[in-house]
Amino acid sequence: MRGNTKPRGRALSRFFTALVFLFLYAPILLLIIFSFNKGNSNTVWTGFSLDWYKSLFQNRLIMRSVYTTLLVSLLATAIATFAGTFAAIGFYSLRRRSRTVLNTVNSIPMMNADIVTGVAMCLFFVAFFTFWSDFAVWFNGVQHLVTLPPRLTLGFGTLLIAHVTFNIPYVILSVGPKLRQMDKNLVDAAQDLGCTWMQAFWKVILPEIKPGIASGALTAFTMSVDDFIISYFTAGSSSSTLAMTIYGMTKKRVTPEINAISTLLFVTVLVLLVIVNLREARLEQTGRQERRPRSQRLTRFLDSPRGKVFRRGTAGVLAAAFLVVVVLLTSATNAQPTVNVCSWGEYIDEELITQFEEETGILVNYQTAESNEALYSLLKSGAGDYDVIVPSDYMISQLIEENMLAELDYSMIPNYTLISDRFKGLTYDPQERYTVPYAWGTVGIIYNTAMVEEPVTSWSVLFDDDYAGNVLMFRNSRDALATALSYLGYSLNTTDEAELREAFQLLKDAKGRGVYQSFVMDEIFQKLEGGNAAVGVYYAGDYLTMLENNEDLAFVVPEEGSNWFMDAMCVLKDAPHYEEAMAWINFIASTEANLANMDYIWYASPNQEALEQYPAYYEKLYEEPLDPEIYEIMAAPQEVLDRCEAYLVLPAHIRALYNDLWTELGI
Amino acid sequence: MKNRLSRLAVPYVIWMALFVVAPIVMIVVYAFTSAEGGFTLANFSRMGLYGVVFFRSFKLALIATAICLVIGYPVSYMMSKEGPKFQRVAMVLIMLPMWINFLLRTYSWMSILENNGLLNQFFQKIGLIGLCNALFGTNLDYFPMMNTQGAVVLGMVYNYLPFMILPIYSVIVKLDGSLIEAARDLGANGLSVFRRVILPLSLPGVLSGITMVFVPSVSTFAISKMLGGGTELLLGDLIEQQFLGGAYNPQLGAAISLVMMVIVVVCMVVMNRFGEGEEQAVML
Repeated sequence: MRGNTKPRGRALSRFFTALVFLFLYAPILLLIIFSFNKGNSNTVWTGFSLDWYKSLFQNRLIMRSVYTTLLVSLLATAIATFAGTFAAIGFYSLRRRSRTVLNTVNSIPMMNADIVTGVAMCLFFVAFFTFWSDFAVWFNGVQHLVTLPPRLTLGFGTLLIAHVTFNIPYVILSVGPKLRQMDKNLVDAAQDLGCTWMQAFWKVILPEIKPGIASGALTAFTMSVDDFIISYFTAGSSSSTLAMTIYGMTKKRVTPEINAISTLLFVTVLVLLVIVNLREARLEQTGRQERRPRSQRLTRFLDSPRGKVFRRGTAGVLAAAFLVVVVLLTSATNAQPTVNVCSWGEYIDEELITQFEEETGILVNYQTAESNEALYSLLKSGAGDYDVIVPSDYMISQLIEENMLAELDYSMIPNYTLISDRFKGLTYDPQERYTVPYAWGTVGIIYNTAMVEEPVTSWSVLFDDDYAGNVLMFRNSRDALATALSYLGYSLNTTDEAELREAFQLLKDAKGRGVYQSFVMDEIFQKLEGGNAAVGVYYAGDYLTMLENNEDLAFVVPEEGSNWFMDAMCVLKDAPHYEEAMAWINFIASTEANLANMDYIWYASPNQEALEQYPAYYEKLYEEPLDPEIYEIMAAPQEVLDRCEAYLVLPAHIRALYNDLWTELGI
Repeated sequence: MKNRLSRLAVPYVIWMALFVVAPIVMIVVYAFTSAEGGFTLANFSRMGLYGVVFFRSFKLALIATAICLVIGYPVSYMMSKEGPKFQRVAMVLIMLPMWINFLLRTYSWMSILENNGLLNQFFQKIGLIGLCNALFGTNLDYFPMMNTQGAVVLGMVYNYLPFMILPIYSVIVKLDGSLIEAARDLGANGLSVFRRVILPLSLPGVLSGITMVFVPSVSTFAISKMLGGGTELLLGDLIEQQFLGGAYNPQLGAAISLVMMVIVVVCMVVMNRFGEGEEQAVML
């Protein structure tokens, strides 16, 4: 059929194919190019450098997630290929009716949306863990020979199970057709000639289906590496894959280190595939004669008495190796004392983590949540299993109310005395039992002076049409509704349904008129810094971070008032690493850590010494005085705070209303 | 013999029962449970409210699938006509992008499509924006491409196009050449050979491709969040919001998942009626 195409049609079709490949590769090329960029932008080229490759290997977060990704993908592929091949043979040998049923069930993980699979597995695991803990308590009570761990959590194990589950169908799907193409009589003939079924498998079936197994394994591995959604719901807090790390970053700024690691992975795979294909092509050229004897030699060897030993031996070695890996993995994660911390994006000087790990030998699993509401969902669904969390004031009250926090042992946190008195015993924790303050600040409007002519003073800019299509709004219910409530002159803590509905309508109308370019959380960094939007609303500290990258930005706490917030460290009830958690909290509460944090995240510290010393610290570090205006934005003076209101926890029915209104706003 | 081999299926059947069927049963149970734990239908009574989201998701996913088909089919067809060397290279090139995480590729599109992004900078440089302003009397500083439904569809097409090309290609490349020759000998011209021989025979690949593009498109949340700006929710966003996002309500999330699942399954069953009796095509 090749001879039939006309030359012109041929050129045209090649051109079309080339265009499609250009479309597929343009963004990838861009990623690769910008991994060599000097600056940290993905759009502005500032010169060639290899710095990102260097710093990549020092970035523990990325390296650890690459390791997790490769490990889980390799293990899952190995298990799925093995299990899938046998399952496919089993399916093939079944009667037609039961085969059809099983094939349908088998295709569920592929046909089902990833998000449903992920959510379903998450629910299943959490339900199983609850059941397990009851069982373990009962079992440990009945006998004392074996102690079962009463508490299981999402982690590497569940991640692996999920990956195996969605990989097996791909293996079966590519092995199955090969089995059907095989002459059915071959197996029977082999058996008639005296083969055991094991021999029949090795000598007859395996050589026939080998290409299917190979392509199944390749597909499975690719799917595992590329998967994000299912991992997102099943990995828990202690392990995160590269995809999850990247997702965390796409919200704020993807560091070019990610470009670098992706380029490395990409090139590795490219080289591997080229080698494999070259070899195959060469084999094809030299003809098939060469291959046959080799595979025959192998099967002949495997059938010899020595081969039998070898076969059993390899199976034994493989099984042992697998066990060792699993044991090592579980012990590696258990041996070193760890603490699981969940905080917000761009909310810690990462040097502090390294410093803490070096000083104490405690490994820190540092993860971030998007907002208080998202953190709450993570905790409730059981997907987030942390020791230390850093929620804001109103969420702390709610967590205390729902009995989810553990009381702190302040004797292990001597640095608590350094916290300024005005930040102790606040409404969310009046008796000082659950919290150690982390940072505080205000919410305000950030605008680009190059795009907005007059200085902004009022919330109205978020609801008027002046900057339609150029406004960024909060993507969390409490903060978003608060801007509208404040504009309307209502309390941020109102429980009046009519007031809330009015505020909601204001947002809904503005959204309907196309005022909002998008609803964002940490994505706001790159959007405002890059000049992609004119006006946004966010936290003061983050504004100062943006200012470092774009000097045109300005910040204002609107005249109508706003929210001031305190984020504090808390420990979850039944946290598995309570003492490590205390050590972490004490470390973070120290003056040095607070100074370093203040300098990095630009949020005001609750530590009295740090707060006072910061201007001097800044001057020493950068050899220029700190602009008092900047200091006032960071640590808002009393007259600004007087205009602001802190969030209080809302009654349950109002919280439900918030959720409903929020979902409705999205529609 | 047969029966002994069939025992090999047992471990996987148990595995499926545990990790495929049981989790879906969980979804069903949750969907009919109220927050307090009793049986309820309330989660479904609110479904009408989200009709818009259902409609929007299915619309965008359908458009993306159609575009993938329109691009993917010719590419697969043309690839199958090239020499074996070309085919091998092309296959590698199609699989390869999946090795860069899809979030990152999507992020890369963000930097291309932003108001201040590479494409707009390029248009600015070649004067296209100025030209457009002069011609149509508009007053644009940039072409708004980000945060639109178009951007979301582009993200879907970009990410899932290989899922359309691979199954179609794997079917076409295995077509029996003698059938085509026979058709020609019997007097069919190029078009009718394609219409009456190649197209029907490649249908399993097409159906499989449509499934593999449509299902992830209709349920994505990362793409819509990144390229769509979160102003227009898709089903995936809605579900994610109920489980791990800002509006915790797993029962409602399960109900929405269930409804989506049922609609998708019905669509697939109806669609597969066309290719009745055909085996689903494989990706590779």
